[in-house]
Amino acid sequence: MASTYVKSITGLLAASALLMGATGATAADRVKIEWWYAISGKLGDTVQQLISDFNKSQDKYEVVGTFKGNYEETLAAMVAAYRVSQQPAILQSAERGFMTMLNSGAIIPVDQLMAKQGYKTDWNDFIKPVAGFYIVNGKPAALPFNSSTPILWYNADAFKAAGFDAPSDTWQGLEKQLYALKEKKVTDCSMALPGDFQWSLIENYSAINNYPFATKANGYAGLDTEFVYNKTGVVGQVARLKKWVDDGVLKIAGQGVAPISLFTSGTCATIINSTASHSGVEADAKFKWSAAVMPHEAGADVRNGTIGGASLWAVKGKSEEVQAGVAAFFNFVAQPDTQEWWSKATGYVPVTNAAYQKMKAEGYFKDHPTREIAIEQLSRGEPTDNSRGFRFGNHNQSTAILIEEIQAVWTGKKTPQEALDSSVKRGNEILRQYEKLHAGK
Amino acid sequence: MPANNAIMTKNEGAVKRPGLPLRRSLSSLVGTSEAGLKASHFRRPWLAAGLLAPQLLILLFFFFIPTWKALSLAFVQVDPFGGTMIFVGLENFTTLFSSPEYRDSAILTLWFTVVQCIATLVIAGLLAFATDNVMRGRAIYKGVILLPYAIAPAISGVLWAFLFNPTVGPLAQMLHELGLAWDPNRRPFDALLLVSVAAIWKHVCYDYIFLVAAFLAVPASVMEAAAIDGARPVRRFLTVTLPMAAPTIFFLIVMNFVYGLFETFGIIDTVTRGGPAGSTNTLVYKVYQDGFRQLDLGSSAAQSVILMAIAVLFTFLQFRAVERKVNYQV
Repeated sequence: MASTYVKSITGLLAASALLMGATGATAADRVKIEWWYAISGKLGDTVQQLISDFNKSQDKYEVVGTFKGNYEETLAAMVAAYRVSQQPAILQSAERGFMTMLNSGAIIPVDQLMAKQGYKTDWNDFIKPVAGFYIVNGKPAALPFNSSTPILWYNADAFKAAGFDAPSDTWQGLEKQLYALKEKKVTDCSMALPGDFQWSLIENYSAINNYPFATKANGYAGLDTEFVYNKTGVVGQVARLKKWVDDGVLKIAGQGVAPISLFTSGTCATIINSTASHSGVEADAKFKWSAAVMPHEAGADVRNGTIGGASLWAVKGKSEEVQAGVAAFFNFVAQPDTQEWWSKATGYVPVTNAAYQKMKAEGYFKDHPTREIAIEQLSRGEPTDNSRGFRFGNHNQSTAILIEEIQAVWTGKKTPQEALDSSVKRGNEILRQYEKLHAGK
Repeated sequence: MPANNAIMTKNEGAVKRPGLPLRRSLSSLVGTSEAGLKASHFRRPWLAAGLLAPQLLILLFFFFIPTWKALSLAFVQVDPFGGTMIFVGLENFTTLFSSPEYRDSAILTLWFTVVQCIATLVIAGLLAFATDNVMRGRAIYKGVILLPYAIAPAISGVLWAFLFNPTVGPLAQMLHELGLAWDPNRRPFDALLLVSVAAIWKHVCYDYIFLVAAFLAVPASVMEAAAIDGARPVRRFLTVTLPMAAPTIFFLIVMNFVYGLFETFGIIDTVTRGGPAGSTNTLVYKVYQDGFRQLDLGSSAAQSVILMAIAVLFTFLQFRAVERKVNYQV
């Protein structure tokens, strides 16, 4: 018995060794570059297309892209892998994980990598809001890859039926329109609540209306930042959303249903969602749709929105050969041609001025006006400390707390003020914990 | 003595066969019973150790090392990537115990586990009782009941989430037409109910198959005697079958608790993600949320240590009770 097991095990080992040898032989001369990314569906297909384009473009490196779940799951996978030295060479990480990655000690700043490998990248060419987020002390930490911002999507047919040309540019005006849509029974629901509402309806809302979200320039000026959004217009915003939810104007999609599908199916007339929804909406919406910049408070000092999406990080602990491959891939991604193709295929913002100007010169935005809305929103007004972006340690954690507390408003357990007070208090504990761990950084 | 004899005969048989070195040597290695020792033992301890090794290795890698890791992480605050680590003593635990969210989660878990345990057992008991009285199509009946067990928790979770989604779910629409304000996104009780029903539905078949087996094991003679005494099926079930199945029922209660505490994770993740406002965030789901989604490894480790203590307590209770109280011999 025992010997049979031993035999079959050795057999298996031999077979797998042979198999590995065989596959190794066919692609032996190519250096494998592992890339973990976090976008799926139609956008995921486009990522695979990007990878195969790169692999075809040269014969030295082979990028192997693996989808690792959503942003949080991908970061968790990275953490687990890094602790046992099985990390990928490239990681796509969301803007929310920026500080975690930046101070992790697990990354090579992208400018160092590119300079060392002999690439000259023009870091000044990145469009302002993108550069403003990823550039730390004059140098980029990660390569901006897929950048987005939330915009207001609307069902043009439904708006016309209700007697409106376009959504109002203020929240007050939009409120009237949404209630009118409901009263005239044009659509079942007026607005769908996005899954990442804390990003679009709280953080971006705060930036656009020029409210401080936290002290120390929203964390840009130091780790000793503290949340203050419980003392600004955000309280009124949450109260408004609560009223809309209660009145059936704003629908929560819930588990198992993508909020954007409530819009594309025609169930809800509007949704404030990422500009990266373009590829999906273009494919699925069977009605006349359009988009607009996010509304602002009447009489507000209107500023730019902030970027979301993710960037590419070069991960430490890989051979020189692999690092050269990472740099080659980054260089490929940063090319204006690649940027233009990527932006057109997905709806993400073209991250460099070169790509943006190229698309503009071609007249692309004349044919696809909604594609330019994101850029328009990102470059509204001169950026202030309140609108540059958010740099918080453990931002995923404080975000989860914010969502949980606002859910307590939906359920009626807390008033908007109580929920935000508690969210700020718990969030500040997270910030202090991070500050303690990263003192001196 | 009898058990020992059996082993010896087997070994003598093996000696006659050449070419099997392992078996031949066994007879010389396995000693006979001696005073103060168990019926049989190995003369050379390394063989016993060798035979135990696979199990010990599995325990080492899947139990002892993770336990050690959890324990060592529970007393520190740590950067997810392991760059910085600060020893904080019991702070992770004190923070947990003073946090209203953790307390809510503990109370919720208790409620959920108890309700789930009782409901699963009662439903499975009724179905098993019915099986005894189903004459035709018993195989189909059993098959239908056992089906949910073959479906992965995540898949069944998605199914439940969709069917009862207040905006698009067909069953939710039916509830709305009945005049019920069903909305698991906004009404914590609805969310808890949905998770509980999904968890019960998934686990009934487990209890069911054990109960069917336990009920079948009741000797026909005892049942016949009861019948002759004039007890009707329901009375026979309550006064004869149930008491005789008590060890199984006790085992199932423990298993249901373990299921409710630890294994409903997949269902919660797909049906509610712990929401709304943490109203379905059970202790084990919180460990995952805090540790894997939010990368607060210290707090997550402290929580798993607490859960581990609960699991140990359960095991202890089970062994004591099974060995002393609930034991019926026929």
